[in-house]
Amino acid sequence: MKSLLPQISTRSPWLYRINAGSCNGCDVELATTALIPRYDVERLGCKYCGSPKHADIVLVTGPLTAKVKDKVLRVYDEIPDPKVVVAVGICPVSGGVFRDSYAVHGPVDSYIPVDVNVPGCPPRPQAIIDGIVEAIKIWKSRM
Amino acid sequence: MFSFIKIVLRNLIRGPSTEPYPFGKASAPKGLRGKVKFDAHNCVACRMCEHVCAGGAIQFSEVPDKRGLKFTLWHNTCAFCGLCEYYCPTKAIHLTGDYHTAHLQKDKYGYVETGLVKYQPCANCGTPMVPVSPRLLSLAYGQVNGDIARLTHLCSECRRQICDPVSSNRSEVK
Repeated sequence: MKSLLPQISTRSPWLYRINAGSCNGCDVELATTALIPRYDVERLGCKYCGSPKHADIVLVTGPLTAKVKDKVLRVYDEIPDPKVVVAVGICPVSGGVFRDSYAVHGPVDSYIPVDVNVPGCPPRPQAIIDGIVEAIKIWKSRM
Repeated sequence: MFSFIKIVLRNLIRGPSTEPYPFGKASAPKGLRGKVKFDAHNCVACRMCEHVCAGGAIQFSEVPDKRGLKFTLWHNTCAFCGLCEYYCPTKAIHLTGDYHTAHLQKDKYGYVETGLVKYQPCANCGTPMVPVSPRLLSLAYGQVNGDIARLTHLCSECRRQICDPVSSNRSEVK
Protein backbone atom coordinates (compact mmCIF):
# COMPACT_ATOMS: atom_id res chain seq x y z
CA MET A 1 0.00 0.00 0.00
CA LYS A 2 2.80 2.39 0.92
CA SER A 3 4.51 1.90 -2.43
CA LEU A 4 1.25 2.21 -4.31
CA LEU A 5 0.23 5.53 -2.77
CA PRO A 6 2.93 7.74 -4.35
CA GLN A 7 2.26 6.21 -7.75
CA ILE A 8 -1.46 6.85 -7.65
CA SER A 9 -1.56 10.20 -5.91
CA THR A 10 1.15 11.85 -7.99
CA ARG A 11 -1.04 11.28 -11.01
CA SER A 12 -3.43 13.93 -9.72
CA PRO A 13 -1.77 16.74 -7.81
CA TRP A 14 -4.05 19.60 -6.86
CA LEU A 15 -2.75 23.06 -7.40
CA TYR A 16 -3.34 26.03 -5.18
CA ARG A 17 -2.47 29.56 -6.10
CA ILE A 18 -1.34 32.20 -3.60
CA ASN A 19 -1.18 35.78 -4.77
CA ALA A 20 1.44 37.47 -2.60
CA GLY A 21 0.90 40.94 -4.01
CA SER A 22 1.30 40.10 -7.66
CA CYS A 23 0.68 42.56 -10.51
CA ASN A 24 -1.71 39.97 -12.02
CA GLY A 25 0.65 39.19 -14.92
CA CYS A 26 1.72 35.81 -13.56
CA ASP A 27 -1.86 35.07 -12.43
CA VAL A 28 -3.09 35.56 -15.96
CA GLU A 29 -0.40 33.19 -17.22
CA LEU A 30 -1.39 30.65 -14.56
CA ALA A 31 -5.02 30.94 -15.63
CA THR A 32 -3.91 30.52 -19.25
CA THR A 33 -1.93 27.42 -18.35
CA ALA A 34 -4.93 25.85 -16.68
CA LEU A 35 -7.95 27.06 -18.58
CA ILE A 36 -6.97 27.35 -22.23
CA PRO A 37 -6.93 24.03 -24.09
CA ARG A 38 -3.80 25.11 -25.93
CA TYR A 39 -1.57 24.62 -22.85
CA ASP A 40 -3.87 22.48 -20.69
CA VAL A 41 -2.08 21.64 -17.47
CA GLU A 42 -4.85 19.13 -16.68
CA ARG A 43 -3.10 16.61 -18.93
CA LEU A 44 -0.72 16.12 -16.00
CA GLY A 45 -3.70 15.36 -13.78
CA CYS A 46 -3.47 18.78 -12.17
CA LYS A 47 -6.52 20.64 -10.99
CA TYR A 48 -6.90 24.01 -9.36
CA CYS A 49 -8.59 23.87 -5.99
CA GLY A 50 -10.23 26.63 -4.02
CA SER A 51 -9.26 25.55 -0.55
CA PRO A 52 -5.70 25.42 0.80
CA LYS A 53 -6.68 22.29 2.77
CA HIS A 54 -7.01 20.31 -0.47
CA ALA A 55 -3.77 21.54 -2.03
CA ASP A 56 -0.65 19.57 -2.88
CA ILE A 57 1.37 21.98 -4.99
CA VAL A 58 1.38 25.68 -4.12
CA LEU A 59 2.06 28.27 -6.79
CA VAL A 60 3.18 31.60 -5.33
CA THR A 61 3.10 34.78 -7.38
CA GLY A 62 4.08 38.29 -6.33
CA PRO A 63 6.90 39.74 -4.24
CA LEU A 64 5.26 39.21 -0.80
CA THR A 65 4.16 42.72 0.03
CA ALA A 66 4.01 43.97 3.61
CA LYS A 67 0.21 44.08 3.41
CA VAL A 68 -0.34 40.42 2.52
CA LYS A 69 2.63 38.81 4.30
CA ASP A 70 0.70 37.62 7.37
CA LYS A 71 -2.21 36.38 5.29
CA VAL A 72 0.07 34.43 2.96
CA LEU A 73 1.86 32.78 5.87
CA ARG A 74 -1.47 31.91 7.51
CA VAL A 75 -2.83 30.34 4.30
CA TYR A 76 0.46 28.52 3.76
CA ASP A 77 0.22 26.95 7.21
CA GLU A 78 -3.23 25.58 6.36
CA ILE A 79 -1.87 23.51 3.49
CA PRO A 80 -1.30 19.92 4.61
CA ASP A 81 2.11 18.24 4.32
CA PRO A 82 3.75 17.09 2.09
CA LYS A 83 3.51 20.26 0.08
CA VAL A 84 5.66 21.57 -2.73
CA VAL A 85 6.09 25.29 -3.36
CA VAL A 86 6.66 26.70 -6.83
CA ALA A 87 7.60 30.38 -7.12
CA VAL A 88 6.18 31.72 -10.38
CA GLY A 89 7.75 34.87 -11.81
CA ILE A 90 10.82 36.84 -10.77
CA CYS A 91 9.00 38.67 -7.96
CA PRO A 92 8.66 35.74 -5.52
CA VAL A 93 12.11 34.43 -6.46
CA SER A 94 14.16 37.57 -5.91
CA GLY A 95 11.80 40.54 -5.56
CA GLY A 96 12.28 41.38 -9.22
CA VAL A 97 11.89 45.04 -10.11
CA PHE A 98 10.27 45.69 -6.70
CA ARG A 99 13.32 44.50 -4.77
CA ASP A 100 14.43 46.75 -1.88
CA SER A 101 11.07 48.53 -1.77
CA TYR A 102 9.81 49.47 1.70
CA ALA A 103 6.45 47.86 0.86
CA VAL A 104 7.97 44.50 -0.10
CA HIS A 105 9.05 41.94 2.49
CA GLY A 106 10.16 39.31 -0.02
CA PRO A 107 11.74 37.29 -1.48
CA VAL A 108 9.30 34.56 -0.59
CA ASP A 109 11.98 32.00 0.25
CA SER A 110 13.01 33.96 3.34
CA TYR A 111 9.65 32.97 4.91
CA ILE A 112 8.47 29.89 3.00
CA PRO A 113 10.68 26.98 1.87
CA VAL A 114 10.49 27.23 -1.93
CA ASP A 115 11.31 24.12 -4.00
CA VAL A 116 11.10 25.19 -7.63
CA ASN A 117 11.70 28.60 -9.19
CA VAL A 118 10.18 29.65 -12.49
CA PRO A 119 11.63 33.07 -13.34
CA GLY A 120 10.12 35.25 -16.04
CA CYS A 121 8.08 38.45 -16.13
CA PRO A 122 5.73 36.69 -16.59
CA PRO A 123 6.97 33.17 -17.46
CA ARG A 124 5.50 31.49 -20.51
CA PRO A 125 2.83 28.81 -19.89
CA GLN A 126 5.30 26.14 -21.05
CA ALA A 127 7.82 27.32 -18.45
CA ILE A 128 5.11 27.09 -15.76
CA ILE A 129 4.31 23.55 -16.94
CA ASP A 130 8.06 22.80 -16.66
CA GLY A 131 7.98 24.00 -13.06
CA ILE A 132 4.88 21.92 -12.25
CA VAL A 133 6.54 18.82 -13.73
CA GLU A 134 9.57 19.41 -11.47
CA ALA A 135 7.24 19.96 -8.50
CA ILE A 136 5.41 16.66 -9.17
CA LYS A 137 8.78 14.84 -9.12
CA ILE A 138 9.67 16.43 -5.76
CA TRP A 139 6.23 15.67 -4.38
CA LYS A 140 6.60 12.02 -5.35
CA SER A 141 9.88 11.82 -3.45
CA ARG A 142 8.24 13.26 -0.34
CA MET A 143 5.27 10.90 -0.21
CA MET B 1 -30.75 22.65 -34.68
CA PHE B 2 -27.93 20.43 -35.85
CA SER B 3 -25.48 23.24 -36.47
CA PHE B 4 -23.22 21.81 -33.77
CA ILE B 5 -22.60 18.75 -35.95
CA LYS B 6 -20.76 20.97 -38.38
CA ILE B 7 -18.50 22.22 -35.58
CA VAL B 8 -17.91 18.70 -34.26
CA LEU B 9 -16.93 17.44 -37.70
CA ARG B 10 -14.68 20.42 -38.31
CA ASN B 11 -12.91 19.89 -34.99
CA LEU B 12 -12.52 16.17 -35.70
CA ILE B 13 -10.75 16.96 -38.96
CA ARG B 14 -8.58 19.70 -37.45
CA GLY B 15 -7.39 17.58 -34.55
CA PRO B 16 -6.56 18.77 -31.05
CA SER B 17 -5.50 22.38 -30.52
CA THR B 18 -3.45 21.52 -27.43
CA GLU B 19 0.29 22.02 -27.76
CA PRO B 20 2.10 18.72 -27.13
CA TYR B 21 4.54 20.20 -24.59
CA PRO B 22 5.82 18.72 -22.15
CA PHE B 23 5.31 15.41 -23.98
CA GLY B 24 6.39 16.78 -27.34
CA LYS B 25 8.39 19.60 -28.79
CA ALA B 26 7.68 23.24 -27.96
CA SER B 27 8.14 26.07 -30.38
CA ALA B 28 9.05 29.67 -29.65
CA PRO B 29 7.41 32.46 -31.61
CA LYS B 30 9.64 34.84 -33.53
CA GLY B 31 10.74 37.87 -31.52
CA LEU B 32 10.12 36.22 -28.14
CA ARG B 33 12.28 37.65 -25.38
CA GLY B 34 13.78 34.71 -23.55
CA LYS B 35 17.03 34.06 -21.72
CA VAL B 36 19.87 36.50 -22.35
CA LYS B 37 23.00 35.49 -24.22
CA PHE B 38 26.16 37.55 -23.79
CA ASP B 39 28.97 37.79 -26.32
CA ALA B 40 32.18 39.01 -24.63
CA HIS B 41 33.98 39.41 -27.96
CA ASN B 42 31.76 42.32 -29.03
CA CYS B 43 31.43 43.93 -25.60
CA VAL B 44 33.25 47.24 -25.02
CA ALA B 45 32.25 47.48 -21.34
CA CYS B 46 30.39 50.77 -21.74
CA ARG B 47 28.06 49.44 -19.01
CA MET B 48 24.95 50.85 -20.65
CA CYS B 49 23.17 47.51 -20.08
CA GLU B 50 23.94 47.72 -16.36
CA HIS B 51 22.58 51.28 -16.30
CA VAL B 52 19.29 50.57 -18.07
CA CYS B 53 18.55 47.15 -16.51
CA ALA B 54 15.09 47.43 -14.95
CA GLY B 55 15.50 44.53 -12.55
CA GLY B 56 19.11 45.30 -11.62
CA ALA B 57 20.12 41.91 -12.98
CA ILE B 58 23.29 42.94 -14.79
CA GLN B 59 26.54 43.62 -12.97
CA PHE B 60 30.05 44.34 -14.17
CA SER B 61 32.92 43.66 -11.79
CA GLU B 62 36.67 43.34 -12.09
CA VAL B 63 37.92 39.80 -11.55
CA PRO B 64 40.25 39.39 -8.53
CA ASP B 65 43.35 38.72 -10.65
CA LYS B 66 42.61 41.86 -12.74
CA ARG B 67 42.52 39.95 -16.02
CA GLY B 68 39.40 41.72 -17.17
CA LEU B 69 35.81 42.67 -16.41
CA LYS B 70 33.28 40.04 -15.55
CA PHE B 71 29.71 40.36 -16.84
CA THR B 72 27.11 38.68 -14.66
CA LEU B 73 23.40 38.49 -15.35
CA TRP B 74 21.19 36.81 -12.78
CA HIS B 75 18.23 35.35 -14.63
CA ASN B 76 16.16 35.22 -11.45
CA THR B 77 15.73 38.99 -11.39
CA CYS B 78 15.81 39.64 -15.14
CA ALA B 79 12.44 40.92 -16.36
CA PHE B 80 13.20 39.97 -19.98
CA CYS B 81 12.31 43.53 -20.98
CA GLY B 82 15.02 43.66 -23.64
CA LEU B 83 16.31 47.14 -22.72
CA CYS B 84 19.88 45.83 -22.56
CA GLU B 85 19.66 44.50 -26.09
CA TYR B 86 18.06 47.73 -27.31
CA TYR B 87 20.68 50.03 -25.80
CA CYS B 88 23.77 47.87 -26.43
CA PRO B 89 25.73 49.83 -29.08
CA THR B 90 27.64 46.79 -30.32
CA LYS B 91 24.78 44.28 -29.91
CA ALA B 92 26.83 42.11 -27.59
CA ILE B 93 23.66 41.15 -25.70
CA HIS B 94 20.90 39.13 -27.30
CA LEU B 95 17.65 37.82 -25.96
CA THR B 96 17.28 34.29 -27.25
CA GLY B 97 14.07 32.35 -27.80
CA ASP B 98 14.87 30.02 -24.89
CA TYR B 99 12.15 30.41 -22.26
CA HIS B 100 12.66 27.16 -20.33
CA THR B 101 13.59 28.82 -17.07
CA ALA B 102 12.24 26.44 -14.40
CA HIS B 103 14.94 25.22 -12.01
CA LEU B 104 15.30 23.85 -8.51
CA GLN B 105 15.83 26.03 -5.46
CA LYS B 106 19.38 24.79 -4.95
CA ASP B 107 20.37 26.27 -8.34
CA LYS B 108 18.77 29.62 -7.54
CA TYR B 109 21.96 31.67 -7.17
CA GLY B 110 23.86 29.74 -9.83
CA TYR B 111 21.35 30.52 -12.54
CA VAL B 112 23.45 33.21 -14.21
CA GLU B 113 24.86 34.19 -17.57
CA THR B 114 28.51 35.19 -17.32
CA GLY B 115 31.22 36.41 -19.62
CA LEU B 116 34.72 37.80 -19.27
CA VAL B 117 35.83 40.90 -21.17
CA LYS B 118 39.59 40.40 -21.09
CA TYR B 119 41.92 43.37 -20.74
CA GLN B 120 44.51 43.97 -23.42
CA PRO B 121 47.81 45.82 -22.71
CA CYS B 122 48.28 49.18 -24.40
CA ALA B 123 50.83 48.87 -27.24
CA ASN B 124 52.67 51.97 -26.06
CA CYS B 125 52.64 52.06 -22.25
CA GLY B 126 51.35 48.59 -21.34
CA THR B 127 48.41 49.77 -19.22
CA PRO B 128 45.62 47.17 -19.24
CA MET B 129 42.56 48.42 -21.12
CA VAL B 130 39.28 47.11 -22.49
CA PRO B 131 39.85 46.17 -26.14
CA VAL B 132 37.89 48.02 -28.81
CA SER B 133 35.52 45.67 -30.58
CA PRO B 134 35.64 45.58 -34.39
CA ARG B 135 31.89 46.08 -34.46
CA LEU B 136 32.14 49.39 -32.59
CA LEU B 137 34.79 50.60 -35.03
CA SER B 138 32.70 49.76 -38.06
CA LEU B 139 29.72 51.48 -36.41
CA ALA B 140 31.72 54.63 -35.68
CA TYR B 141 33.81 54.94 -38.83
CA GLY B 142 32.18 52.72 -41.43
CA GLN B 143 35.33 51.63 -43.17
CA VAL B 144 38.32 51.28 -40.85
CA ASN B 145 41.65 52.38 -42.29
CA GLY B 146 45.12 51.45 -41.03
CA ASP B 147 45.59 54.55 -38.87
CA ILE B 148 42.42 53.96 -36.91
CA ALA B 149 43.20 50.26 -36.54
CA ARG B 150 46.61 51.18 -35.08
CA LEU B 151 45.04 53.60 -32.58
CA THR B 152 42.76 50.86 -31.22
CA HIS B 153 45.78 49.16 -29.65
CA LEU B 154 46.55 52.24 -27.54
CA CYS B 155 44.99 53.30 -24.26
CA SER B 156 43.05 56.57 -24.08
CA GLU B 157 46.00 58.53 -22.63
CA CYS B 158 48.46 57.41 -25.32
CA ARG B 159 45.86 58.07 -28.02
CA ARG B 160 45.36 61.61 -26.76
CA GLN B 161 49.11 62.27 -26.77
CA ILE B 162 49.55 61.00 -30.32
CA CYS B 163 46.53 62.84 -31.73
CA ASP B 164 47.04 66.14 -29.91
CA PRO B 165 50.44 66.32 -28.16
CA VAL B 166 50.26 70.08 -27.41
CA SER B 167 47.01 70.15 -25.44
CA SER B 168 47.78 66.89 -23.61
CA ASN B 169 51.10 68.39 -22.41
CA ARG B 170 49.31 71.53 -21.31
CA SER B 171 46.89 69.53 -19.19
CA GLU B 172 49.84 67.85 -17.50
CA VAL B 173 51.35 71.27 -16.56
CA LYS B 174 48.12 72.29 -14.90
